[in-house]
Amino acid sequence: MGVGFTVGVLGALLLAHAGYLTTQYRGMLKIIDEEFSGPPAGVVIELLLGLLLCMVAGFAGPGKFHSILPDSEENRIVKLPSNLDFMIFNHRGSVLPFDPELKLKI
Amino acid sequence: MATAVEEAQLNQLEIQVDNGGGGAWEYLCLVRKLKARRSDKVLKHGLFILNNPRARSKLGEEEFTLYEQVAFAAMDCRRNDIAKDCIGALFKKFPGSIRVGRLEGMLYEAKGAWSEAEKVYTRLLADSPLDQVILKRKVAMAKAQGNSAAAAEYLNKYLETFMADHDAWRELAELYISIQMYKQAAFCYEELILCQPACPLYHLAYADVLYTMGGLENLQAAKKYYSSTINLTGGKNTRALYGICLCSVAINQLTKGRNKDEKDISDLQSLAAEGLLRDYKERAPKKLSLVTTTLRNIKMVS
Repeated sequence: MGVGFTVGVLGALLLAHAGYLTTQYRGMLKIIDEEFSGPPAGVVIELLLGLLLCMVAGFAGPGKFHSILPDSEENRIVKLPSNLDFMIFNHRGSVLPFDPELKLKI
Repeated sequence: MATAVEEAQLNQLEIQVDNGGGGAWEYLCLVRKLKARRSDKVLKHGLFILNNPRARSKLGEEEFTLYEQVAFAAMDCRRNDIAKDCIGALFKKFPGSIRVGRLEGMLYEAKGAWSEAEKVYTRLLADSPLDQVILKRKVAMAKAQGNSAAAAEYLNKYLETFMADHDAWRELAELYISIQMYKQAAFCYEELILCQPACPLYHLAYADVLYTMGGLENLQAAKKYYSSTINLTGGKNTRALYGICLCSVAINQLTKGRNKDEKDISDLQSLAAEGLLRDYKERAPKKLSLVTTTLRNIKMVS
């Protein structure tokens, strides 16, 4: 969580900085009286880097990845639920003694 | 359905609770969530919480869920007195509730008073004729009295109305297996596989039924379903590996006379045997020699 958050903050800062640089650049263009054709290469690289960092943060930040493989430990079904709706009570376990001291105190 | 992680978690919690490490309520919640049948432990630890006024009041409304859980566990352990007390407490809180009424019927069942239980269920069904649990209890009652054929009949009638109830399909399959009607059981498992194609245990059970029925075609189909079980479990299901070995042997025996020249020794069987040996080497090295001799006897490994 900590690493993801730091990376996210860094990415956001980069994006903000790229925006700031672009406005600066446009201001400069106005002074030297040229048409705006596109942002400078430095800003584009910064933008892409910021995007990448924000994406990493978006993946890593909120939680851990779950496996989609059916045979992974998290997904492999090893036991079906006992069919408790059809539970019957006259089974062989009923002859086992059970602690007679136990009682519900009301 | 319990995945490998959840099962390990449950076992670990059980050991922790048994040794007095706390976490009894979490254990009981997990048992309920996974629908495990560990009645003796549930009864012991559940009663401990219920008898401790402070722990009980901490649960708030969940307290009554616990009363119900303990009542089930008590009936399963033949402690009808405890179950009766629990049901009494629930009756006091929820008079006239159908859910508590069901418990009362089950208490009669646990005592073996079938006609009384029947009466309770009939009364409850008059109020809500489509109560699934009560209809299922009627099936269970027939089963408990040793009348599996009648239980299968009831369950068939139930499934006509509630076709999507896969627990009922599974119960019907098991009932049919217990009265050796394998064809019908196979149909039920087909239905279950359609319902949940990603659950390896249904594939495994279906393959078992097919293998039991025998015959070349069924054996070949069984082998395929054992293979799909292995596919879905990543080879961690020992029973499926054994199944492949046994199916291969049976198929070889059946086809021996017919196509002698055709050597149909697929990679599958040797891979399954290898997988078995590796599994035993890792998890039970003491039994490795036993498995090796067995596999050698059926000529799976040289």
